[in-house]
Amino acid sequence: MGPRLSAGATDSAARGIPGGRAPALEVSGLRMAFGPTVALDDVALTVERGQVHALLGENGSGKSTLIKILAGYHRPDPGGRVLVAGRALSFGNPVNAASLGCRFVHQDLGLVDTLSVAENLFLTSGFPARWGTIRWARLLRAARDDLARVGLDLDPRQPVAGLSPAVRTGLAVARALRPGAGNVALLVLDEPTATLPDDEVRQLLATVRAAAATGAGVLYVTHHLDEVFDIADVATVLRDGRVVASSAVPDLTRTRLVNQLLGSELDEAHASSQALPPPRANAVLRVHDLAAGQLRSLSLQVRAGELVGIAGLTGSGRESALAAVFGAVHPEGGDVLVDSTPLRPGHPRRAIDAGVAYLPADRKAHGGIMSLPAAANLTLPDLRALWRPPMLRLGAERVEARSWFSRLDVRPAGAVHLPLAALSGGNQQKVLLAKWLRCRPRVLLLDEPTQGVDIGAKAQIHQRIVAAADDGAAVVVSSADVDELVALCHRVVVLRGGHAVADLSGPALSVPAVNRAALAAER
Amino acid sequence: MSSRRRPSLGLDRFSGLYLWALFVAVFAIWVPHLFLTAGTVHSVAAQQAIAAIVAIAVLVPLAGGTYDLSVGATVNFATIMVTVLQSNHSWSMWPAIIATVLLCALIGAVNGLIVVVGRVNSFIATLGSASVIAAFQAITAGQAQPLPPTSTAWSALTQREVLGFQIIVFYMLAIAVVVWWGLARTPAGRYLYAVGGNAEAARLSGVRTGRWTWLALTTSATLCGVAGVFYASLSGPSLTFGGALLLPAFAAVFLGSTQLTPGHVNVWGTLIALYALATGIKGLQLVTGVQWLPDMFNGLALLSAVSFAVWRQQGRGRRRPRPARDTTDEEASGREQPGAARPQELSLNQ
Repeated sequence: MGPRLSAGATDSAARGIPGGRAPALEVSGLRMAFGPTVALDDVALTVERGQVHALLGENGSGKSTLIKILAGYHRPDPGGRVLVAGRALSFGNPVNAASLGCRFVHQDLGLVDTLSVAENLFLTSGFPARWGTIRWARLLRAARDDLARVGLDLDPRQPVAGLSPAVRTGLAVARALRPGAGNVALLVLDEPTATLPDDEVRQLLATVRAAAATGAGVLYVTHHLDEVFDIADVATVLRDGRVVASSAVPDLTRTRLVNQLLGSELDEAHASSQALPPPRANAVLRVHDLAAGQLRSLSLQVRAGELVGIAGLTGSGRESALAAVFGAVHPEGGDVLVDSTPLRPGHPRRAIDAGVAYLPADRKAHGGIMSLPAAANLTLPDLRALWRPPMLRLGAERVEARSWFSRLDVRPAGAVHLPLAALSGGNQQKVLLAKWLRCRPRVLLLDEPTQGVDIGAKAQIHQRIVAAADDGAAVVVSSADVDELVALCHRVVVLRGGHAVADLSGPALSVPAVNRAALAAER
Repeated sequence: MSSRRRPSLGLDRFSGLYLWALFVAVFAIWVPHLFLTAGTVHSVAAQQAIAAIVAIAVLVPLAGGTYDLSVGATVNFATIMVTVLQSNHSWSMWPAIIATVLLCALIGAVNGLIVVVGRVNSFIATLGSASVIAAFQAITAGQAQPLPPTSTAWSALTQREVLGFQIIVFYMLAIAVVVWWGLARTPAGRYLYAVGGNAEAARLSGVRTGRWTWLALTTSATLCGVAGVFYASLSGPSLTFGGALLLPAFAAVFLGSTQLTPGHVNVWGTLIALYALATGIKGLQLVTGVQWLPDMFNGLALLSAVSFAVWRQQGRGRRRPRPARDTTDEEASGREQPGAARPQELSLNQ
């Protein structure tokens, strides 16, 4: 049941789009700083009606900030101007953004699985009702129109739970474009394909084209260059908060786009300074043909003392890689061996006993137990040394926790009795890292070890990771921050489309090289 | 971060003790000749001892985030079983007690299997098993309420007086000490609190979450078996007594979780809450003598305890800017606001 391109696009004039022929979005002179960090600097951008306008940029280039300003979440510095269909957007006001005709489809689509397609469509705008009773016939008719508008061939009575990811995204687009919710001037799609498998991307692109054909301007945020060439009319590239280029897609080549994205570093003159030759030793960790979620096949060997990075865009399989190695999730296939002993998946206790430690990316959901004191979090994986029957040696635990606190400079100093929730993000992360270092692991798996961590804490965490490797641990770091990987690791494995596509080390390891390997996807 | 704690009277963590003192003071002034007697102290202590054991039984799985709603039914079942074995089947006392407690442990083990292996929500699983246990109780009892055993050893088991208190009070305290030890001073307790705090994080830290949940439910039912035996010895068999215990037990545990180590269910907080409420109820009964007081008091206490806990969490949430996980790195650097949370003593080792 694939979505099709709708036969005739509705004429935009007939649908009474506000603001006559003014462009869907005109941004000029937009600047925004977070403290000393300038996120956006004099950004200008125009999205025409009926066009798909791709917005590209590395992590930290300012894309998200721009979108949050459009959504009324952030208030930019004075002087900037945003016109939606010719009318000025009042900043910091989500209701105003919506009433001017801005619609957003975020990565979290906001669909309710247990409800039907039609019910989901009307969830945000309210149901057509008479005397408080839903008018189902009318609802279904309107739902069919909404689906047809974006070329989705779906039964509106079908539950959302059974839909494929691409169709769900399509449904979210259809909902955003509902005329009942006011006229739509601008549709913003924030990395809609990030978590889609390859074959479904094509379906979604058809939906996006159909959405543009209704006369709305589409601002399409993506990491994937192929999509730009597939559907975009114009591509704008942000780097370090500035618009580097805004060009018509037919005039673009892939190389030019990559150059715009990555800047002048492309000559690879500055290879990573820390890329020391990895120590000669036998592989402690061997991963063979591992598959889990979007990870299709990962093979990896890590030696004692070696720091290996895993890079890859969202949806490349990088997110599930380390969880699968540790056995936190059940892999669909493949083997993990520690010192030639196979690790049974789904048994964290056994993995830990075999000397593997895993720091999950999501600190709150998987990493720490926020309600427990920091000291209890620190000692949780290994209480043997503290258990002198019949009593847990709480005094010894406090002393040990304090020493870890001072070693990693956790603030407030010595506050080991505080619940983990009372510490700041960076300090929480240090505690959770210390929890694993305390076990003296042979294999240390770190998923986004410095995500949401301030710069000072980041440097300290990096020092500790390097020290752990020097002590002989085999360390694997998965991170969306390529600079971090290049600075930290001996070797970086780049994932794309679920497969390892590059293994860079020595002089070949540089930020542009990793980025190029991650980006140059041929969908 | 101002990590230094403000000097305080501990109105927060020790509010139960203050409340208890307030009840004592009010009734001591109001009805001194009735309230301020050794008899009142002894009767409140003994009357609440069974309820306290059941509250501790509720507490153990709740520390691990698991509800045991079958405690009332299990207590009832134990009461009838231990009586029937002795009166109808002429077992002697100790074999009857041991058999009853073992049967209750079995009930808990089955509850645990349903929750851990069957992955049924503990609320539903124990609600269902409570009904099944009630049916087994009816099968065991036959049609009529069994006659209490006549041996003096049987009644002396709980009614013997020590220092003026019935000995059941000391049994209860012994159980409290053992459970406190288990929860606050052993790795098992640490693992259980970890499961209750965040089961997935605990699992990824190597805690065998299923094992501890199963053990907690088994412990809970075993304690209920003990409570049932004691009740039968103290007051004689009853077909309905256990059901009335469920709500006061949960009220005491939830109220107790606001005490001493706020945010964590704990043994001594539970006992303070239970006895503070019981003192208030006793005082009011001495004044008015109406029957509906315990229901009203316990119900309101449960509601206010949970509302208070929710209010407090929200209050904390408002004070702290939520660290957004999905923010991009350009903001992350400016976003960390260390120590905006309220410093608060919170540990397991009180």
